[in-house]
Amino acid sequence: MHLKTFKGGIHPPANKLTAQMPLVTLPAPKRVVIALQQHIGAPCQPLVKVGDLVVMGQKIGEHPAAISAPVHSSVSGKVVAIGPVNFSNGKTVNAITIENDFLDTKTEPIGFGKALADLTDLEIRSMIREAGIVGMGGAGFPTAAKLVVPAGKKIDMLVINGVECEPYLTCDHRVILEQPAVILKGIKALMKATGAGHAYIGVKITMEGAIETLHEVVKMEKGIDVVPLASKYPQGEERQLIYAITGREVPSGGLPLDVGIVVCNIGTSWAVGRLMETGMPLIERSVTVTGAVKTPSNFIARVGTMVSDLIDAAGGYSEEPGSVIMGGPMTGLPQFTTEIPFTKQNTGILVLTKNEVQPAPMTDCIHCGSCIEACSYRLMPLYLAKYAQAGNTAGLEKYNILDCRECGSCAYVCPAKLPLMHYMRVGKGYITAKRAAAKK
Amino acid sequence: MQQEKLVIQSAPHIHSSMTTQKIMFYVISALVPAAAAGVFYFGLRALMHLLISILLAVLTEAVVQKLMHQPITIRDGSAILTGLLIGMNLPVAAPLWIGGVGSVFAIALVKQAFGGLGHNFMNPALAARAMMLASWPSFMTNWTTPFDGLATATPLAILKAGIPNTTALPTYWDMFIGNIGGCIGETSALALLLGGVFLIYKEVIDYRIPLAYIGTVYIFGSIFGADGLNSGLFYLLAGGMMLGSIFMATDYVSSPATARGRWIYGIGCGLITMLIRLWGSYPEGVSFSILLMNIAAPLIERFTIPKKFGEVSKKNAK
Amino acid sequence: MQNKYLKTLTNGIFSENPVFRLVLGMCPSLAVTTAVDNAFWMGVMVIFVLTFSNMFISMLRNLIPDKIRIPSFIVIIATLVTVVDLVMAAYMPAMHTTLGIFIPLIVVNCIILARAESFAYKNGVLASTLDGFGMGVGYMLAVLILAAIRELLGNGSFFGINLLGAGFPAAKVMVQAPGAFITLGVILGIIKLMSDRKKAE
Repeated sequence: MHLKTFKGGIHPPANKLTAQMPLVTLPAPKRVVIALQQHIGAPCQPLVKVGDLVVMGQKIGEHPAAISAPVHSSVSGKVVAIGPVNFSNGKTVNAITIENDFLDTKTEPIGFGKALADLTDLEIRSMIREAGIVGMGGAGFPTAAKLVVPAGKKIDMLVINGVECEPYLTCDHRVILEQPAVILKGIKALMKATGAGHAYIGVKITMEGAIETLHEVVKMEKGIDVVPLASKYPQGEERQLIYAITGREVPSGGLPLDVGIVVCNIGTSWAVGRLMETGMPLIERSVTVTGAVKTPSNFIARVGTMVSDLIDAAGGYSEEPGSVIMGGPMTGLPQFTTEIPFTKQNTGILVLTKNEVQPAPMTDCIHCGSCIEACSYRLMPLYLAKYAQAGNTAGLEKYNILDCRECGSCAYVCPAKLPLMHYMRVGKGYITAKRAAAKK
Repeated sequence: MQQEKLVIQSAPHIHSSMTTQKIMFYVISALVPAAAAGVFYFGLRALMHLLISILLAVLTEAVVQKLMHQPITIRDGSAILTGLLIGMNLPVAAPLWIGGVGSVFAIALVKQAFGGLGHNFMNPALAARAMMLASWPSFMTNWTTPFDGLATATPLAILKAGIPNTTALPTYWDMFIGNIGGCIGETSALALLLGGVFLIYKEVIDYRIPLAYIGTVYIFGSIFGADGLNSGLFYLLAGGMMLGSIFMATDYVSSPATARGRWIYGIGCGLITMLIRLWGSYPEGVSFSILLMNIAAPLIERFTIPKKFGEVSKKNAK
Repeated sequence: MQNKYLKTLTNGIFSENPVFRLVLGMCPSLAVTTAVDNAFWMGVMVIFVLTFSNMFISMLRNLIPDKIRIPSFIVIIATLVTVVDLVMAAYMPAMHTTLGIFIPLIVVNCIILARAESFAYKNGVLASTLDGFGMGVGYMLAVLILAAIRELLGNGSFFGINLLGAGFPAAKVMVQAPGAFITLGVILGIIKLMSDRKKAE
């Protein structure tokens, strides 16, 4: 069977150690640290002060800008601190620390008291906004803002990203297997919110049981289909996913909106489905803790749990850790400490051993062209790397560095072990600096 | 929880297991059948040629890098590979020092003087072969028969000279297994093909270059050769065609890195090889054709850069 | 005063050697250096033409209008080259035939034109003459070195005398065009290396 897919890409070993581990709901921790920026866009301003009592699901921070998402308390208790904490990007972020009173008193449900069939698209979007739902695949773009269709554009398709192409991560996989009905509800809500007539759920052929499970729930639904996709990285990258399922190429510098499509992660659909069913905002999510831990697991954890607690819940380190990575091994952020709060965007915590993170000896570029073959955007990483090292912005622009999606495929295949991703980022930095200087 | 010393590196945190060194040693392994065939047909002297070339290549690289205060990189295997290829391009009756001179030239001038690994603008082994041919034409064309060591001409030389039928051309089978006069490593098409298939399977070489090169030579030879499709086959098995198309033209640094570029490059190599073989004054054209295409490779590459994903074509842009 | 003239003289031999530092006049340098004999006589001719052309051009520099200076230089240089051409044809016909077209080509040798343009046109007669002579000597030195290497390795001989014996496997490429470029390239590389090391000290 010729599976749909995109051109280029790589085949890293999947290492889905936790594919068979059912989701375990972790008990709420003693205290949670709710970061005021768990999304792309304007950071939230706190709505509470130290000493305030809050309930589970209460909105504790927001910003009026369209590209923003409010944050909520994931426990009931007392606000004990508001201030900067270490964060997964290596810098600090403002956060609200709440001491849990273990009563789990819930807030009023979000909604209009109507069934999904009676809600308007505007109402659905305002519910999603109110619930603080963001892209759960790791990007964290405020979902409500993504669902707004600008005047003059029409959405005919919703693409649901159930691919989970990063090695090691299985949080989406388990949610598909265990809560497909919730996902379906979320997809229907998203379809209504965008006016899309059809939804396609892209799932990798190697995600055991997922295609069958989803097919079972959607087979009676008109307009929703499951599309099996080849197992390749980065199949889950937004534009490659769109290309694989529909054959449409999102124009460079444009958005999926430009080809009539909105893409949502399947975890996001789950969160929307949960919202529709329970009225609770986004305060917990599925996460995979895997790698060199004693019991690699999939958890449902409260937002604001410390990463160190999550690692402990997985049995702690199985040997001396090399790197602790937030996310997957291809694009994840390495951490210098595990005392950071877990957020709505975190899909996984990966512990790699010291051996695994040992850099291989680097040689000069041998011009083998593997990077060109791997790049799904058909860029020329070997040229871009040289231009980036030289700070040559003209060359970088000529070879389209801004189209690089930083998927890491080129750096993965390079036999000379060149830090190509690093050079891409350096190159983009030069371009940004040049444009900022030109604006002045 | 204790604060461990955690490693911070740029993503991605996993890498493919292929390294430069592995690539070099895969190619060297792929050459072993052909090298062994050379020793089998031409005796221990052939082995000496190979060893001397390899030794001098590695020594030259170490010495040059030491003199230039650069890190010594002989462990990456590229010098060994170059030395091996130079040795395989020698007729067994050539003087034993000739491979050494070629190796010194290839490593010191063609490779290190231009920046070392990844910077040679021509295939170093092939440039050395061309230099040796220009310097000592009689030594470099002094071919002998396998086993007996009697002076002979290669099939291509026989064809070019038009020697009367008393010096019959060898059979296709002999040409395939390598039981003919020629350079140490180039006679056995069988052994070379085995190595080539191995390298394509391991994704070390791109199939496009050998396929385009071989295809062009076969088609051109069939059309313009004296004996139709038989000529096509003859030109594939004769001379350095197999060695050149599989192991020399595919040198990463001196060939284009783009897919379309590699097709053009392979076809170009094939065309020039056949032009020289059919109508040029040399009986063999592989070395020169590859060297010429090496020089054209950067240009070919610039002209075959793929259109990026999501390219907004000027007439469709609103 | 004397130092300045001495400097002008030695300039062309070492620090601004026309072949190895200024990299001018490549064509004859590569073509006639297949044997030391040829290189020597070429050197002699270039010294003669360069010295006198610089001298005459300097003498006439205030009379030659700027707009037609190049044709004027060529006329002077061509006259001198014709002189050496005829002299060589008369007294050394074999060498004349060997050097062939490269004798008339001295007229457009970049070294001579460049020195005329950049030095003789702007400086006094004595200085220009010394500069021409120095450059010529430098040129001769350079081509002698090139030819020595090429003839020795490519033919086993020096100045026609077989030094390395009949058994020496001469690398014929050295007396062909590729050998010329390789030799020149290696020498330029060595000189650059030496001058970089000297600067670092």
